[in-house]
Amino acid sequence: MDSNWASEQLQTIRTLMERSAIYRRALAPIMLVAGAAGVVAAGIGLLCEIDSASGFCCLWYGTAVFAMASALYITRQQAIKDSEVFWSPPTRRVVQALAPPLLAGMFMGGFPLLTYVTPDVKWVSTLVWVMFYGLALHSAGFFMPRGIKFFGWLFMASVCAFFYTGYFLHVNLNFNPHLFMGLFFGVLHLAYGAYLYLTEKGKNAA
Amino acid sequence: MNPDLFLQLDKVIHEKGRLAIMSALAASPELSFTELRDTLNMTDGNLTTHIKTLQQEGFVSVAKSYQNNRPLTSCSLTPAGRKAFADYINLLEKIVRQSKP
Repeated sequence: MDSNWASEQLQTIRTLMERSAIYRRALAPIMLVAGAAGVVAAGIGLLCEIDSASGFCCLWYGTAVFAMASALYITRQQAIKDSEVFWSPPTRRVVQALAPPLLAGMFMGGFPLLTYVTPDVKWVSTLVWVMFYGLALHSAGFFMPRGIKFFGWLFMASVCAFFYTGYFLHVNLNFNPHLFMGLFFGVLHLAYGAYLYLTEKGKNAA
Repeated sequence: MNPDLFLQLDKVIHEKGRLAIMSALAASPELSFTELRDTLNMTDGNLTTHIKTLQQEGFVSVAKSYQNNRPLTSCSLTPAGRKAFADYINLLEKIVRQSKP
């Protein structure tokens, strides 16, 4: 036994400690359900022409509640199937990381819609929601494997790019906010879910 | 380097499988038997044997309960186990420090 052995032993211990702290539930079904909900909500918003601030607010808050409830249900079913506790330490850590940015985003994004200060209020809320959701994903990424942090960065970078393109370059990005919401909370989640499904298949663990 | 340091390493924790169990439990307040088995890629028999040894030493406590009418075995480090693991890590760090010029 020598000092190299001791260093390697410490590295092994560190790796094992990190691995046991990682959240291991399959994310693919959660992402697919959330993505499908996002696409359906965007479709409803566009087809039913829900243009009022309060209608926009209700539609997307309702979608968020549905997506979160579905995520909890799927996670619980997975835990039951594996004979494991639902409220496990890794689950607790992920929820603790997600909660502050998600709650802040829900509050900050809902406030302009309810007070209705400008005609572009839906855009303000949309950008706030996408930004805070990206922050939440990035924060949870410390306890989750497989590119969640990158997914969060994609949301944050897109909001920055959209904001600077529209505000500073005076490019008229005049399209329906439902489309923007549907793209980020629908299509991107479906794409990420499909990627996870194909790469997780057979392992049932992220 | 002082060779006595190696002799001071706890022999119960030092075994590869048991060290893996202690490391996993040190990072979590509690882990179920299946979580431990899947995280460490161990067989049920191997994991049971090592947990029994650690339990006899007073390093690990095992709680049995039921969840949705199915038995659930949860493992966690005892205060003595946490201290023994911390001492083991400190000793390894000491060995690494002493070997540096």
